[in-house]
Amino acid sequence: MSRYILGRIASTGLVLVGVSALTFFIAHVVPGDPVLVALGEHAREDQIQAYRRAYGLDRPVVVQYVIYMGRLLRGDLGVSIRTRRPVAVDLRQFLPATVELGTAAWLVAMMLGIPAGILSAIFKDRAFDHLSRIAALIGASMPVFWLGLLLLGNFYFRLHWFPGPGRLDITIDAPPARTGLLLVDALLSADPIAWGNALRHLILPGLTLGLFSTAVVARMTRSAMLEVLYQDYIRTARAKGLSAWRVHLWHALRNAMIPTLTIIGISFGNLLSGAVLTETVFAWPGLGRYATTSAVSLDFPAVVGVTLVAAVIYTLVNLIVDLIYARLDPRVRYD
Amino acid sequence: MRVRFAVAVLLASLLLVPSGGVGLAAPARDTLVYASDISDMISLDPAVAYEFSGILVAQNIYDTLVAFEGEDLTTLKPRLARSWTIQDAGSAWKVTFKLRTGVKFSTGRPLTAKAVAFSFDRVIGLNKSPAFLFKDVAGLKEGDTKAVGDDTVEVTLPKTASPQAFLSVLTFTVGAVVDPDEALAHQTGNDRGEAWLRDHSAGTGPYMLERWDPESRAIMVANPNYWGAKPKLSRVVIQHVPETSTQKFMVSAGDADIAANLTPEQAREMVSDANVKIQRGKLLQLVYIGMNAKHAPLDKVKVREAIRTAIDYDGIVRSLLRGEARKVQTIIPEGLFGFNASAPFQANAARAKALLKEAGVGGGFSVELLLPTGPAPGGVKWSDIAAKVQNDLAKAGITVKIKETAQAQLLNVYRAQKGQLVMILWGPDFPDPDGNATPFTDYEAKSIAWRNQYNDPAAAKLAKQAALETDLAKRRALYKRLTDRVLHEGPYVILYQPTTRFALRKNVQGFVWNPMAFAEFKTVSK
Repeated sequence: MSRYILGRIASTGLVLVGVSALTFFIAHVVPGDPVLVALGEHAREDQIQAYRRAYGLDRPVVVQYVIYMGRLLRGDLGVSIRTRRPVAVDLRQFLPATVELGTAAWLVAMMLGIPAGILSAIFKDRAFDHLSRIAALIGASMPVFWLGLLLLGNFYFRLHWFPGPGRLDITIDAPPARTGLLLVDALLSADPIAWGNALRHLILPGLTLGLFSTAVVARMTRSAMLEVLYQDYIRTARAKGLSAWRVHLWHALRNAMIPTLTIIGISFGNLLSGAVLTETVFAWPGLGRYATTSAVSLDFPAVVGVTLVAAVIYTLVNLIVDLIYARLDPRVRYD
Repeated sequence: MRVRFAVAVLLASLLLVPSGGVGLAAPARDTLVYASDISDMISLDPAVAYEFSGILVAQNIYDTLVAFEGEDLTTLKPRLARSWTIQDAGSAWKVTFKLRTGVKFSTGRPLTAKAVAFSFDRVIGLNKSPAFLFKDVAGLKEGDTKAVGDDTVEVTLPKTASPQAFLSVLTFTVGAVVDPDEALAHQTGNDRGEAWLRDHSAGTGPYMLERWDPESRAIMVANPNYWGAKPKLSRVVIQHVPETSTQKFMVSAGDADIAANLTPEQAREMVSDANVKIQRGKLLQLVYIGMNAKHAPLDKVKVREAIRTAIDYDGIVRSLLRGEARKVQTIIPEGLFGFNASAPFQANAARAKALLKEAGVGGGFSVELLLPTGPAPGGVKWSDIAAKVQNDLAKAGITVKIKETAQAQLLNVYRAQKGQLVMILWGPDFPDPDGNATPFTDYEAKSIAWRNQYNDPAAAKLAKQAALETDLAKRRALYKRLTDRVLHEGPYVILYQPTTRFALRKNVQGFVWNPMAFAEFKTVSK
């Protein structure tokens, strides 16, 4: 098993090299000049040249790539052309907000999607099933941007149930940053006010971002459950007189979870990398907005940095999913 | 059994829904919350900041020697300097400032003439985005600013620079005075405190920086050592809210006092909100079409005049922009010294056709119009304005091919003199007519005139003369001559001068937008 994990981690390194090369060259194929974007329309020629030299942009692309990779191997992601700060500093600043939001959304997807899928399968073709399938269809097709504004407009603006945009109320001081995850930092500094406020701020964006994945998870769970519910061993379990609870949650769900798990894993990656619209609506200072602003500014060190983070997250999540497979299904072995 | 199970699962899911009644945390009475998109903020160091949101903060934590107050960009007011003189010293201009006494930095140290010299030299030495205002516009080098005693500063400008333009430059954050001891105490390498001042402050302004969390918020608190009248509000939060609909919600709900980036539609929707008022702000930008003066048939003055004549400016301002702009047709915007209100062109297809005939292209011609993607100043899309221009020019027999492209790519084409018609905007770098006159008329300045291959030495000479003139009446007359000349001979169609708009809570008073795109929060109360 440990050999398998080591092998997977080593192959992750190769994936990262590929991803960085691809992103780097795509970023250079795009027409437009990042220096002009960074310095603006009024910049004089000598400023532009000085900036180009400072960032090594006056060299041929291949040379730039070799230099970039050399730095990357030493753990240096370079300096952002737009924010003029080390990319690593930017990532450390913006990643935690997105991790917090993505995890909240992921929990929403799991806690709403899995029960909805199970109930849909149990009550197949009855009212709950129809309702949940319609809800899933709407959830999967509703634009995130619109949903976010809808939730904000109703639950923040009209009903005042939840606080407005941002990660904390303006009147509340952020706890000292240790992890960057506000909920964790508030706990570490024993600040229940900040913790409660951060949690409330997390709910609407978490729902907004999580609804699409909820729909996907619900549909996947439903079909996986349906496949399992008509198998012989379920019939046997029922014949043995086991309670419905035990049959559904212990015997059926465990097997139905195997295909669902893949979806859950992928959706976690998607949530982290696809949060840009939610972050925009909720003024959430996360990686999604950083990535988009960087891409629009043709800021390739930042874009490559974000892509690498996304690649690491995807490969790690996939690895974890594969490992959980082995726990859930004794037939799966990695040796 | 099934029902019991279903209920249990539903209950578990319901745990996610919070109990109602979370109160809104309206900002405190002494705090102003200004909701704005501040994603462009990269530094709050006045020698580095050259982005709208960075300047907004820096203008409030630093002071300049002189200032334009409120909306008026024509009358210089004393600030850290109580008086100043411009002297013709033969081979150079000598500008002497007498400093206000008793001024302290937020750090507690006194303001000295040495601090001014340090700050100016620092801008030149660091050579960041705004440095060209000192180096190129004012022709300054390190050492040209000298402290004479504790309260007198002497700046030596080369005769090629305009003393008036220099004074205008000094109203901008690039002319801010920083505490040299504080900056040097935090120096890393040779950076004169640049890394530290990125997110700290050491100025004499009414506020000082409490903290800046990128992409989140910048918080300013009143400077206890401020020399002037105490700011009415002790805390200003510049809250990053990139989505304008969210800004609208926040002001309506009372969570923000001012929303800065509303679209015209959103502002119109808010008119019915009893708790909110809409306030217009002037801008110095001009939205224009550059015509490449070397690209046939745009090389003919009459063809360019025909294009200017055919366009329906009133339609653009009234119907498309719904009054979010004013009609301006000369190269100096309204609000700056030397503005020329002459606007002779308005949708005259017959006259345009006659001009084309005189120019020998009576059969019409086809030309490409390059424009950026996204919204133009004033709130409509660039492409909507382009479609209107295309329609107007078609009436005169000119076929316009619209080409929309990302701004970064558009600038590449434009800067390489490869555009035919290019629609874009320009805002002056400093509040002086020379901030427009030279770029629009001087080919050698390698700016707009150069991009449009417009080489008119007479116009460039007039611009230079006007820039250097210290007699204001004579200066005004020179700008009148220049703007009249470019109005008919230049390669520009000035389409409009946009305005901007703010939503304010009804109780917010004293908010004034400076057309150079910032506000001084010290006058704001609520």
